[in-house]
Amino acid sequence: MTEQEVSAASAPLLEMRGIGKRFAGVTALRDVSLTARAGEVLALMGENGAGKSTLMKILGGIQPPDGGEIRIDGRPVVLDGVRAAKRLGISLIHQELMLAPNLDIAANIFLGNEGARGPLGPLPRAAMNRAAVGLLARVGLPVAPTVLVGKLTVGQMQMVEIARALSTNARILIMDEPTASLSAAESEKLFEVIRKLRADGVGIIYISHRMEEVQLLADRVTVLRDGRWAGDLPRAEATSDKIVALMVGRELSGAYFPDKAGRSPGEVILDVNDLVVPGAPTGVSFAARRGEILGFAGLVGAGRTELMQSIFGVTPARAGTMTLEGRPFAPRSPREAIARGVYLAPEDRKHHGLVLPMSITENTTLPNLAAYTRWGRLDGGAEQRTAEAEVKRMATRTPSVRQKVVNLSGGNQQKVVLGKWLAMSPKVLILDEPTRGIDVGARAEIYRHIAALAAGGIVVLVVSSDMEEVIGLCDRVLVMRERRPMGVLERDGISQARIGALMTGSAGREVAA
Amino acid sequence: MKRELGMASALAVICLVLFISNTDVLGQSNAVNQLRMISMLGIYAIGSGFVIITGGIDLSVGSIVGLTGVIIARISSQSMGGGGHSMALGVVVALAVTLLVGLCQGLLITRLNLQPFIVTLAGMLMIRGISQTIVDGGTISLGTSMIKLANGGLIMHGGDPLLPYPLLIFLAVIAAGSYVLHGTVFGRYLYAIGGNRDAAAYSGIPVKRIETSTYVISAGLAGVAGVCYAAYIGQMSQQVGVAYELYAIAAVVLGGCSLRGGEGTILGIVIGSAMMKVIDNGINMFQIRYQDADGIPRLWRLNTNWTFIIVGSVILIAVVLDQVVHVVQEKRRIRATESAASPSAPAASAPPA
Repeated sequence: MTEQEVSAASAPLLEMRGIGKRFAGVTALRDVSLTARAGEVLALMGENGAGKSTLMKILGGIQPPDGGEIRIDGRPVVLDGVRAAKRLGISLIHQELMLAPNLDIAANIFLGNEGARGPLGPLPRAAMNRAAVGLLARVGLPVAPTVLVGKLTVGQMQMVEIARALSTNARILIMDEPTASLSAAESEKLFEVIRKLRADGVGIIYISHRMEEVQLLADRVTVLRDGRWAGDLPRAEATSDKIVALMVGRELSGAYFPDKAGRSPGEVILDVNDLVVPGAPTGVSFAARRGEILGFAGLVGAGRTELMQSIFGVTPARAGTMTLEGRPFAPRSPREAIARGVYLAPEDRKHHGLVLPMSITENTTLPNLAAYTRWGRLDGGAEQRTAEAEVKRMATRTPSVRQKVVNLSGGNQQKVVLGKWLAMSPKVLILDEPTRGIDVGARAEIYRHIAALAAGGIVVLVVSSDMEEVIGLCDRVLVMRERRPMGVLERDGISQARIGALMTGSAGREVAA
Repeated sequence: MKRELGMASALAVICLVLFISNTDVLGQSNAVNQLRMISMLGIYAIGSGFVIITGGIDLSVGSIVGLTGVIIARISSQSMGGGGHSMALGVVVALAVTLLVGLCQGLLITRLNLQPFIVTLAGMLMIRGISQTIVDGGTISLGTSMIKLANGGLIMHGGDPLLPYPLLIFLAVIAAGSYVLHGTVFGRYLYAIGGNRDAAAYSGIPVKRIETSTYVISAGLAGVAGVCYAAYIGQMSQQVGVAYELYAIAAVVLGGCSLRGGEGTILGIVIGSAMMKVIDNGINMFQIRYQDADGIPRLWRLNTNWTFIIVGSVILIAVVLDQVVHVVQEKRRIRATESAASPSAPAASAPPA
């Protein structure tokens, strides 16, 4: 062995050390380290917003890190741009596939890498097709390279993406939630290909929320939490309990969450009976009481957001009934739900919750604007008074209510969303991921507000992927998995272990009461 | 408001330069005629503005302007090809048709989720064809029966009005438009839909109904402008109003509306309309006095063939400047939030007590 070979054999394929990244005002990554070895599948896990995507974008050359060191084969490298990363053998497969459906398989595999002589040289179709056949065989896709990508199934497209990565001699392959839209059979096929690539000595970084897959595939698990490295687990120790513990991690502290012992939910306000959400296999039933915080736990894609959208009338339910304060409730649009006092603070604040270029005042009064008119004319003074009252109640940090919400931090934006609904005295308030992307300090504040709302007699439905939040905040928790209700946990029975078991399906199939 | 101020200053400078070069610019006949031209453009540009602020686009405006006049001529003209009915009947029927056209386009766009560009492009072609069919490829003369609507007005001076009727109509449209857009719930909804359609729907706003209404407003105001043009031109053929939708879009964009929606004011659209027509007029009026080698005074004028080159350049310069200002502001904002956030960063990341 030459000296170089020795160092290559002993040094890991990829080392990232002390990586940091800040975006305007938000720390996305802080001192994160990660090691990937050749012929190994490393699972990268963490909650939404934990920094997985940012870390992988840095590795793919899409965003430069603010600090830290990246070594490949023990040698420090600079990843400035996607091309630099590709040259170093790093290939990133995005969750949303980056394929042109109007081009054929060969054209997609070699897109930007056609091997033509200059931009006006003839397209070497024959050579491309020949090479594509070899690559397709490697990923086990027995389809002619001249077939249009638009005609393939999502699973087959995934294989084309992998073939594309292989065409650039990728040594490090990053896959971001590759099975998110695959069927079980397609996933199985993907796993076969991944195992084959691993045997060929490719280092694979596999990002997934699905515990079963990770346990099936991964040789090692690295967990991120709040933009920091939370821990590494070797295969033998990577049980779902341990992974979840690292993912949510923070010690549950009494002061962080408002005390819930004092709350005593009253009569049933919202009664949901066998509500079938479009695309769900079964109906969901639950009854939410006055002054209760009812949590909805589950993995991403468990159908919780869709359930809330049906209750709010965005996608009306296919079957089942609901009653609100004893009267039938079947909203066919958000407008109808709002008219009955049922409001939703959506998961995606920026796309569904706020009109970013508008001011705090304008956003606050938007759903109930008709109340601020005098003889048809908008009363700016009344609008401003309401907005100022809500800013004060929520302790939103802003120079004035005329500030555009696009300029506020995530936590303050969420307070504007809450304020906008509180100004309309809600009966039922649905909060979908209320603290996503919000830093720890602002979270505690939002929890206090939520508890105060419940104490004021409002029904609060909280969808959250943050286990700690669900445990600390909610009176009862309904756990969902694969669009089915798995069970309801009462206040004393809420624990990380029991939620985790229902969430991942390891507790057998209980059905919600 | 800053943008409107900038555009207004630019307009003032152009006017001043024009006036210095040729004092006839403010002569009564040219000034009044310019006010009339600005008014007629402004009326339908405001209509287009309603659509553009919600994030849509209406390409059928020019054809609707033409159709209005053709319908009036067909019903009311005393000369060949006309029906000889009263002028009022012609105007009422024409305006009713424009509202109906707008409603149909709006419903197609919102209920079937079609792209506004395509629907109004098809509308533009079909309406143009209908006009052509009505006049049978020729011309119907309205004679002078409506000329008073275009030429007449309040405060006559030397046989010419100082306030022609189209200007009065324009002022009324400005007043109503400003009130609706800046003072009512409906107006606020337009901005909300243009700014974030999904968030507007999640706020319980009847997005589709409101979007539909903007196409009705746009077509209706195009109809009102069409009545003015019919009175002004007198000879109705299928050529009236060709490419007017593009002038309207240009005026709206010059006035500070974003084609992405959610931005713009009536004042801006008014300034944009004035800008378009002043530049048009300026190309004809601009002159530089000089003495040639023999000491004979001569006038240098702009070649009128350059009209479209100059109009196009002005639009391009305006949007480039606007983008530059936008980028600079954005950078300043990010710097401001970063310097505000960095001292508090360690506190925010500390573990909760």
